[in-house]
Amino acid sequence: MERAFTPLDCLLPAGNLKFCLLILNQPFSKGHFHCLWSRAALRACADGGANRLYHITEGSQDSFLPDYISGDFDSIQPEVKEYYKVKGCELIETMDQDLTDFTKCLQILQKKIEKKGLQGKHKLRVDTGLEGAWCGLIPIGNSCESVTTTGLRWNLTNQVLKFGTLVSTSNTYDDSGIVTIETDKPLLWTMAIKI
Amino acid sequence: MSSQVLVLCINVFPFSALILFSLQVLHLFCRVFSLAWICSATEAALRACADGGANRLYHITEGSQDSFLPDYISGDFDSIQPEVKEYYKVKGCELIETMDQDLTDFTKCLQILQKKIEKKGLQIDVIVTLGGLGGRFDQIMASVETLFHATNITPFPVIVIQECSLIYLLQPGKHKLRVDTGLEGAWCGLIPIGNSCESVTTTGLRWNLTNQVLKFGTLVSTSNTYDDSGIVTIETDKPLLWTMAIKI
Repeated sequence: MERAFTPLDCLLPAGNLKFCLLILNQPFSKGHFHCLWSRAALRACADGGANRLYHITEGSQDSFLPDYISGDFDSIQPEVKEYYKVKGCELIETMDQDLTDFTKCLQILQKKIEKKGLQGKHKLRVDTGLEGAWCGLIPIGNSCESVTTTGLRWNLTNQVLKFGTLVSTSNTYDDSGIVTIETDKPLLWTMAIKI
Repeated sequence: MSSQVLVLCINVFPFSALILFSLQVLHLFCRVFSLAWICSATEAALRACADGGANRLYHITEGSQDSFLPDYISGDFDSIQPEVKEYYKVKGCELIETMDQDLTDFTKCLQILQKKIEKKGLQIDVIVTLGGLGGRFDQIMASVETLFHATNITPFPVIVIQECSLIYLLQPGKHKLRVDTGLEGAWCGLIPIGNSCESVTTTGLRWNLTNQVLKFGTLVSTSNTYDDSGIVTIETDKPLLWTMAIKI
């Protein structure tokens, strides 16, 4: 089967692809940086990539904190390392000298993607006969930037769910008996049970 | 209380299947309801029903419905019983149909309420909502969602009361709550619903917070209670839901 892919979708503010951002120790353009940063589901630095991030976000580093920084830490500047450590970023030391910082960073990334369920795709079968009429999706502790569903009466497509903006309540089902939900952040599913 | 003007917004929510549960609702509803209705018996008062809230009003005032006529009933009218709608229509209550399906009946009722408050030039301290916290979880969440929207709809504080619970959305900043009316139950809580709070500081609680992060997955303040001061202060950097027990 042919797989369709748009390589530069990640540079589009209105792009569709879900991606994680890995920053390596090379200069990069500020122009694309903000779009990449804001759309990324997970953001990581490989060793000296943290220096790059720190300097390119001069003055507002605390708005651009990576989820983790990994590597053998022979490139990261001590003050940069200390800054991100104090700010609560995860520092993961990887001593393996057979693999580059990039490779090791990618390995850690994959683990985190799996752990966080960042694919975020869910399939719920709702054809037991015990389902009541209503259901809902509640962004209870955090907003969700992108939620997509099928199988609901009122489906969502890359929709923001957020208290004060939109919360899906009093929703219901179509006739398919299956609901799929894709979300970028934890999202509470609630449904009626026939009493 | 009698010097304040209360504006009632009676909300709609289905009875539970358990009779006991319904009786509890009825009891508090009666006590709070009649108190609120009496206290708002001045020309300036406004009382409204959101759709099926009119059913609640009709049944709880059985035998003397005509002494408890709302100023208006609004909604998409998919919950109000036909005979209830007819009754209030005949009695001259304003019926305002609102078809917008992106907003709940509660939200739409609140929008209309604010317009009427402005039009009548009413002096208001608070908007009290009866109902909205029972039964369906998604509708409880919808009530919370309305509180978020309320900050853009009305400048007045909006509280929601049902059974033994009250909720009130605190906006960023400092708040002082007097909790010495004698009607406070044992528990209270601070819920970072919709967003985390980076820094919350309280006084007057059994377990106070100092520049504390409140966030689902980290810490949520529930089953808290009061010290003896009768006053709770809360400082928060983001919207934060206050919830407390009402003595039944």
